[in-house]
Parts: sequence; structure tokens; C-alpha cells
Amino acid sequence: MIVKADELYTFFQNCQAGLGGFQEVILPRKREEEGDGFFFTRLEGDHHYILDGYRSIDPVRLLFYYPREQVTPATDGSYKRLLLGVKACDLKALQILDKALINEDFVDPNYEFWRENTYIVTSDCSDLSPSCHCNLLGGKPYPEEGFDLNLTHLDDQFMIAVGSPKGEELLQLLKENVAFYEDTPVAQSSRDKIRQQMIERLEKQNAEFAKPEKYEEMRQKNIEQWIEESKNCVGCGGCTNICPTCYCIIVNDETAEEPFVKVRSMDSCQLHGYARVAGGDTPRPKMYNRFRNRYLCKFDYMQSNFGVLGCVGCGRCTEVCVGEIEFREVVRNVLV
Amino acid sequence: MAKTNPYHVIPATVYEIIEESPTIRTLRLKPDSPIRFATGQFVELSVPNIGEGPFTPSSSHNITEEMDITIMKTGFVTEHIHKVNVGDRLGIRGPYGKGYPLDKFRGRDVLIMGGGVGMAPTRSLFLTLLDEIDQYKSITFLAGARTPRDMIYKDHIDAWSKIDKVNFIRGVDRVPEGESWNEEVCLITKLLDKIDIDPTDNPVVVCGPPIMMKFATMDLPKYGYADKDIYLSMEKKMYCGFGQCRHCVIGKYYACKDGPVFTYEMIKNEENIWE
Repeated sequence: MIVKADELYTFFQNCQAGLGGFQEVILPRKREEEGDGFFFTRLEGDHHYILDGYRSIDPVRLLFYYPREQVTPATDGSYKRLLLGVKACDLKALQILDKALINEDFVDPNYEFWRENTYIVTSDCSDLSPSCHCNLLGGKPYPEEGFDLNLTHLDDQFMIAVGSPKGEELLQLLKENVAFYEDTPVAQSSRDKIRQQMIERLEKQNAEFAKPEKYEEMRQKNIEQWIEESKNCVGCGGCTNICPTCYCIIVNDETAEEPFVKVRSMDSCQLHGYARVAGGDTPRPKMYNRFRNRYLCKFDYMQSNFGVLGCVGCGRCTEVCVGEIEFREVVRNVLV
Repeated sequence: MAKTNPYHVIPATVYEIIEESPTIRTLRLKPDSPIRFATGQFVELSVPNIGEGPFTPSSSHNITEEMDITIMKTGFVTEHIHKVNVGDRLGIRGPYGKGYPLDKFRGRDVLIMGGGVGMAPTRSLFLTLLDEIDQYKSITFLAGARTPRDMIYKDHIDAWSKIDKVNFIRGVDRVPEGESWNEEVCLITKLLDKIDIDPTDNPVVVCGPPIMMKFATMDLPKYGYADKDIYLSMEKKMYCGFGQCRHCVIGKYYACKDGPVFTYEMIKNEENIWE
């Protein structure tokens, strides 16, 4: 299905005003200060919102697994929100988090709440960040499954694909409110062409990092190499805070009165106290132990635990690193 | 799919406190509702407004209306636990993890090695085994501590030692001036010379400080114990209790949900297991 871009935008504004029972519409907005990039914000007022572009600065994970949330007693309430402009890498990250946080051992009540109450509208990437490398991890610059609706930007129109029952529901609402046209072979072929161009750009951008996927070798790599790779790491934990698949948390008690209130907050395996036990021992006392742990977690442990790699190739950890450590270079060097 | 809140807290009242040693005390707790657990599983004990920590109960799992937890003062939360008074309200959530596989222990000569505060979880196992002692060939408990003052559960030893089929041997590393001790003076691993158990297919359960666990695990095969029969309590920083927070990860395993009891065979190829 195809709709006009400006009409679609008006539709989303109406959703923010309550159409379809939505209480909130969230989407990427261009940063107004210096520098490039987008961050997620509520659709409010007339700002430079972006439905296509490339992945945001902040991972979508933060809208489902907040940095600080009360987990017990449970907070009641209902909510219905619409999340727009999610990119394929972030969607894949949510699918990994689904395995980690909604499984047979336990269900994180807050994550499940946000997952159930959010309608996700993804979009094809129409541009790249220099750190984007989803292609090295088997990803594509457009989502193939797991979305509710997906948008492809074609000139002044958007082509819309449905991916779930929630998507069907949204599509129905769209049809009732916006003029739409059936897909045409011409539109389909321009979509395919744009997608192919994006794949080629990604491949070109990452050609020097392309490697056979022998991630099991990472564990065998000598420790000297890890010491070398981590020499610019200051252990700030920025990489884990911004990673779309990191979900380590700590649990705090925050009230003196009953009922007992538990709040979970993000933690980082890059911090010295992370795995420290009573008495002061820690299995990873040196920075390079902790640096190595992050890579092994993504490429080895999460693979063992969930059957998927823990990295989606968004490149945010490279972008955020104060030590200017290039993630792709490290992965390449520890696999050689 | 579990729909219950995994963080749900059951409040509990402290009804008795036993000072076991200068740094170790046992809290006797009455939870507002019974807590069922399998011996070897752990709970998260909260001090309101302070924090929580993972502890394995030291009472028998056949008792659910009350729970004993033996705790050493060793960090922020445990220092506050050592300031708790009778009547105070604490929170318990859990149990979490896998307990000791009693079905594999039944019909066997069970050897338990508990060092220092590591006697706490093994006391739960010991008391649970006592509840059904006709199911076991024998129970041998090797208890170790640094000095006589550090030896816990002093008040119970006499009674436990008199039970048929139970052999209780205690040793301290050293006897400082002014303390008296008429039992063994040696490292806990040396107590293995004092016993006569056929190690074939018989289980040995080890719990204690990392250094003791390491040397016990190195020595036990010399006495003929197989890696599959060595059960280790790999207590780590088990923050959430159910495989979410990842602090206790040992390679691909979670101490909290795959453990905290592991056989040596399971984890011997993982890294830094003794730290």
C-alpha cells in the first residue's frame, strides 16, 4: 500500500492527539544543536522529525527497558503507544531481548508491558552512519520480519508493508483516515533498487572489516592481543549503556517502609565492581578482562544462551567511545 | 511462560538472632507466608532502604514456616544485617536456582565439606538429609574454620555427632593464644585423611571460600572422587536470581539459575571459576 508522506505525517499527529486510542507517538527527531544524528522523542510541535534516515543515537531498547524502573510492587495501568522510525538493527535487538527477558525461566514484567503495549512502525534505512555495519552480522538495512508496519520512503510517498496482527489493526486505522493506493510494480522495483543500493553502500563501507564468521575463535585468542586492543579503554561503560542488546541490571531497595520496593537500574560489565563478590574478589580484576568479557558476551555467551549473536552491527559503541576504539577493528583483530 | 512477578518480596520478621562467631550470625526468620525451597537453592534477603544479597538458607527445606540464614559480615549489606534486631522486618524473595540433587545422593555415602561460613548452605543439606537419614548409607561432615572462635554452629555439634550413621569431624587452621581446641588442627583438605569412604559413585559436596574450594577440588580426585561426583556451591554475585542481570555468569552458565550447585565436570573448562 502507498500513502502520501504529508498525509501519513498528519495521521501520526492525529494519533498523538488520541486517534486509535494512542496515548503517545514517539519517533526520531534531528538534533538541532551541532552534529548529525537523531534521537527518539515524542511527536510534539513542529520539529525536524525523520521517518527514514539511519539508526538513532539512542537505542530503541531504552524505550522498552528503561535505565531505571520500579519492578515491584508492579505498577498498574494501561498504555498504548506508537513507535515510529525503528530501524532493522534495533528491531533485531528487541528480538534478542525478547529471548533474554521473556522466557521460560522468568518474564521481566516491565519489559513485557512495554512490548505488549507498543505498536512498532519500522522503516528502511535511507542513509548510513559511518559506524553502521549490520551487513557484517548478517543484517540488512531494512527489516524483513518482526515489525508491525514497515515504511519505505519513495520520493513524496511511503510504501507500507504489514508484518503482524497489530500491523493489520494499524493498517485498518490508516485506511479509514488516509487516502491510499495499491502497490505498483514500478514502486516495488524502485523499493528493491533503493534497498540494493543501501546494501552496496554498506558492503563498500565495511569491506576492510569483512571476515569469515569464526566467532568461536575469539575465546582462544591470546590475552596479549586483548591487552593491546583494550589499551585505550578507560572503562567508562559508555559502550554497554548505548548497546541495543545489553541488559545487565542491578536491583536496589529504596524504601524503609513496607511494601518492599525494588528498583532495577542499568549496570555495566565494564565497571570494576560489577562481578565483585563479598570479600572483594572479582573474576575480572583488570580492564582487559572486562573489555574481553563484552566481546565474548556478544559473540560467544549470548550465542550459547539464546542461539543468536548478541551484536546487531549498529556501531553505536564505536560512536560513543571516548577512547576512539573501533569495534569492527577489534573484532577483526581477535579473529585473525 | 511465568506470569508472576519474579521480584515479588515476602516480608519476614526476625524472631531470634544467634551470634555464631565475631563475624557470623544466624537470623531466624518467620516469613509472612511459607517459603518452599529445595536445599541448596538461595533467596535474596533485603534490608529495607539498604539493599539485598543472595543467601542460601541454613535450615532444612522441610521447614517452610521459618527460615534460618547464617550470614558473615563482609560488605555493605551484610554489615547492616549485623545491625538488625529481633522484631525487625526484612524481605525475602525467591527461592532461586537449583538445589542439591538428593535423588543422586540417596543410597550413598555422602561427604560434606564446609569451610567457614560455607557451613551455612551445607547445614541446610545436612539437616535435610537427617530428616530422611534411613535413605543414606552414611553422612560425613568435615567442618573447617580459621580458628576455634570462627567455628560456627558450636551449640549443635554434640547432638549432631551422636546421631547414628553421622560422622562429624572438625578442624581449625590454627589455635591462637588464649583459645582452646581439642579437635583437629589442620586445613580442611587434610581432614580427608581422617575418613574412610569408598569414593566410587559417592558424592562429595564442597562449600567454602574460593581458596578452600579450589584446593579441595584439586585434592578430591587424588582420593578417587570423580569430577561428576564433586558438587561445588559456586556462589557469585547473584543479583537478580533468575538469569536476567548476568553478574554471576560463568562462561555460558548462570550461577543463579544453572547453579549455584554445579558438578566440577560441568564447569571445569570455564575461566576463572575460583575467583
